[in-house]
Amino acid sequence: MMFLVSLLFAGTMQGQEKPSVGFTPGSFYTFSWNTTFTLGDFHEWVANTSPAGFDLGGRYFLDKGLAVGFNIGWQRVGQLYGYQTFYDNDGSAITADNYRFTWMVPFQGVVAYHIAPGKLISPYIGLGIGGDYMEHHLLVQEIDAYNVRWDFSLTPEVGALIKFGNFSNWGALVAFNYKWTTNKIELYHDSKSKDLSMLNLKVGLCLIVR
Amino acid sequence: MKTKLILLILFGGFLFFSCSKYPPSTVRLTEDLVVYTKYDTSIKFNQFTTYSIVDSIGYISQSNGKKDSGWLPNADAQPILNQIKQNMNSRGYLLVNKNQNPNLGINVVVVKNINVQVYYPGWYWEYPGYYPPWYWGGGSYYYPYYPAYITSYASGTLMIDMVDRKNVTPDGKMYIRWNAYIRALLTGDHTMAQIQTSIDQAFKQTKAFPQ
Repeated sequence: MMFLVSLLFAGTMQGQEKPSVGFTPGSFYTFSWNTTFTLGDFHEWVANTSPAGFDLGGRYFLDKGLAVGFNIGWQRVGQLYGYQTFYDNDGSAITADNYRFTWMVPFQGVVAYHIAPGKLISPYIGLGIGGDYMEHHLLVQEIDAYNVRWDFSLTPEVGALIKFGNFSNWGALVAFNYKWTTNKIELYHDSKSKDLSMLNLKVGLCLIVR
Repeated sequence: MKTKLILLILFGGFLFFSCSKYPPSTVRLTEDLVVYTKYDTSIKFNQFTTYSIVDSIGYISQSNGKKDSGWLPNADAQPILNQIKQNMNSRGYLLVNKNQNPNLGINVVVVKNINVQVYYPGWYWEYPGYYPPWYWGGGSYYYPYYPAYITSYASGTLMIDMVDRKNVTPDGKMYIRWNAYIRALLTGDHTMAQIQTSIDQAFKQTKAFPQ
């Protein structure tokens, strides 16, 4: 936290000292709040939209608007379901309130193309390729049934980098992506799911380095 | 600058919230009733026509480090037993006296506030058993399937076992064809009506029973 605060002060001072011309970033780092909207089988598991997540990212410009980088993060989706009955093929059945949640640690390499990276607002399109560590938990009283899964993931993304001023080293990031994974949930025979997917809305702060 | 600091603090809060894997303890469901049932899939339940049920409910518990056992007060036991009878009767089973050779015998036990391992149907490790096999005229109980795998009864559990008296083996072995666990009776603030509803649910969710 102290590191981030010192960066914030440094960025503000730097911005005040620069001459009044715009600049093209050499790289930037983002810290974003991530809201998750589950889709498909994942939505059947947990239907709630979840604001519990954040993302750290970095991008390095190679040539003009082309940039490569990384994203890592944490996300959690969860929902309480009322009295539900689950059946198994062995003659057993359980009826209970249950809380389901998935805890995720995504990590991806990213390639992106920024339109007009030197402008105040720079839209971009990108593709993330990587994986996730996911834990799927089903809580019934003190019983915690869970799966742990690693996966492969693809994330096409659109977004925009918005500088706080033409000469500021700070800006905002707004991005929206669709994420497809090979992850699955096998806690019940009746609710087997695969290829978990979701939408993510990221809103965050950005430190821009020249 | 103030705004940026506030933003950073907000992000820090989200960071902390996100890293927490488990939900807050208030939603850990420890006070909710759970109904777990299992039946022998190898047998047809419509071959049975009559049943008998115990007339009282035993309990085992522990207080001040001492093992305790006894019988539930009649005022608590009878509504539970009556609810089981009502569900059996509505499925076409006829209640008869134990000495009238019923097809099925029903045992009911409550484990109150301790952790015990079910040693054998009707027997609990280091605790006295209720309604031993000879109560129903056999030599031993036997699960033809893996019974509910629950070793913790700290929250209070009502256990119902359905004993097959029609197909007793020559050596006196009696199969348990169905069992039900209703957990968390002693947590939260559960009424007898809720417990009776849970008994209804135990029968309802058993697909093998005539509905």
